[in-house]
Amino acid sequence: MKKLSLIQIKANEKVKILEILGGSNLEEKLLSMGVYKGKSVAKLSHIGLKGPVVIKAGRSILALGHSVAEKIIVEKE
Amino acid sequence: MIRKIYLIGNPNVGKSVIFSRLTGVQVISSNYPGTTVEIARGYLVLDNEKVEVVDLPGTYSLDPTSGAEEVAVSLLKELPRDEIAVINIIDSTNLERNLLLTLQLIEEGFPVVVCMNMCDDAGHRGVHIDFSKLEQLLKVPVISTCALTGMGIKLLTQRIKEAVSSFRGKFTHQQRWLEIGKIIEQVQHLEHRHHTFREIMEDASVRPVTGMIMAAGIIYAAFKFVRFIGEGIINHITDPVFMNIYQPILERLSITWQGKGFWFHLLIGDLINGKIDFKQSLGVLTTAPYIEFGMVLPYVISFYFILSLLEDIGYLPRLAVLLDNLLHRLGLHGYAEIPVLLGFGCNVPGILSTRVLESKRERFIAATIISIGVPCIPLQAMIFGLLGKFGGFYVSGVYLVLFSLVIILGVILNRTLSGYSPEFLLEIPPYRFPPLLMLWKKLYFRIKGFLVEALPVVLLGVCFINILIYFKLFDFVTAIFAPVIHGLFGLPKEAVVALAIGFLRKDVAVGMLMPLGLSANQLFIGATLLAISFPCVASFVVLGKELGLKGLIKSTSIMVGISIIVGALLHFAVLR
Repeated sequence: MKKLSLIQIKANEKVKILEILGGSNLEEKLLSMGVYKGKSVAKLSHIGLKGPVVIKAGRSILALGHSVAEKIIVEKE
Repeated sequence: MIRKIYLIGNPNVGKSVIFSRLTGVQVISSNYPGTTVEIARGYLVLDNEKVEVVDLPGTYSLDPTSGAEEVAVSLLKELPRDEIAVINIIDSTNLERNLLLTLQLIEEGFPVVVCMNMCDDAGHRGVHIDFSKLEQLLKVPVISTCALTGMGIKLLTQRIKEAVSSFRGKFTHQQRWLEIGKIIEQVQHLEHRHHTFREIMEDASVRPVTGMIMAAGIIYAAFKFVRFIGEGIINHITDPVFMNIYQPILERLSITWQGKGFWFHLLIGDLINGKIDFKQSLGVLTTAPYIEFGMVLPYVISFYFILSLLEDIGYLPRLAVLLDNLLHRLGLHGYAEIPVLLGFGCNVPGILSTRVLESKRERFIAATIISIGVPCIPLQAMIFGLLGKFGGFYVSGVYLVLFSLVIILGVILNRTLSGYSPEFLLEIPPYRFPPLLMLWKKLYFRIKGFLVEALPVVLLGVCFINILIYFKLFDFVTAIFAPVIHGLFGLPKEAVVALAIGFLRKDVAVGMLMPLGLSANQLFIGATLLAISFPCVASFVVLGKELGLKGLIKSTSIMVGISIIVGALLHFAVLR
């Protein structure tokens, strides 16, 4: 399985979260919003030029800044 | 004995609507996370006892990650557990995410009642929840409500007393999510259905190409509608009332007064060609009410109508996604769009809502940008009223100057200020279509707020100005500042008065420019300067409150410095 960040996958792909890099603060925050290791999410869109990534996690739609999305490592299902 | 009731829940689950329903206190609620930045308090009568109800800012968990959440958690610990009840409000369309906070509240031993809000919306979206099963599993009362229509609120008040703390051990978030998964399996049933039109539009609004097209269309339409409704009210309602009903009454009054003396000067002002001119007479009974009711109020109504509509539908967080890129260059992130948009109504709520931003640095940048480059609707209304007749060119000119200033200033601040700007992380709510009645209520609330705050200041302000003019007390000030105003900005020296009044109210200040007989270019410079120079007293106070004394001094020196530079530049670019 290839490890990719949320930036590297295409829109409309479903992936499973393997790892969240960068600080326990960010991890904690994402965790409380329902984004955590092992969770399946779908990428909805990505605004170009280092813009945010929009994902669907459970029934929530979340917008993640570019550098947050970079730190979320996923694998394709 | 319950002494206090706390409303707690994830952002944007409708806490403020429940709060209004329980206490009868009207608060602003919108369809985006972070509407409530101040803690609202009200009272509910429970068994003939008045109990305080506290509406807490939204929080995803009890371990606070932002300022607002920290406040919520510390308030919960004010009183001993047996003297409070915690109403945990849940968005029924997204039970899974909401349950994390619920489990934490129960673990901490708070007496909890779970309120499953928006249950009608859940039904529409094919989400079916077994409430009694959920009650069994959580071991606390579960009540389903629809706060917008008021359904279930009565039952909620009846069952607040049953709030119990049900013991369970302490877990980690990971363990909680596992447990939530199990609960969801037992209580929630999702109806499989195809993408609805609403969902297709929801997705399209955050994709790069379709999103940008929608954003451009919506912003253009919003601006057009604000102008259309505002002008419509002026042309068909307020102007006829002023010209056909109010003016004849005043004319009769002015004849009996013989057009002379202190009181005539104060109340009616100067006659223009022997007649009262609402735009130029400058009296407490003539120009003052005309500015507020005849020029500003129509636009206040139209602006807040459109803003409230966009807020409640839930479009604003989607716009934030698209604007994130641009705002990043200014040291902000997408969500700074919310305070900026609110600032276009009035800078005060705009600056207050910079609290949705996490770092001090972001709040400073956002508040400064709002004070300089975001003209409030009363000021904009006056700019439309005054510059509009010279053509759209001048009006767009003002916006263009302000927009460029915001960009330049933002880039500079971003490069020079120390500190960090945290990352963009935002939940996007679904589109919702609230009942029209809710929209009217909110509009009424905002307009009432505007009138209560603005009217006394305007009447007293004009009164005060007239007294100063009558006794020629301005001449001294005018003489001192004449070199700057005339030499540097190319405005007649009387414009000093207008710029000074800008500290009181911006709309009256533009009003003061009306009798001066300025050219279109001079008006353009004057209006632009009024927008960027010193904030009005109300924003000044809030700015101080939010940024502290040091921040206030820093921010206002930037404003004064910039207005001198811009005023001089515009003078040489436009007037020569």
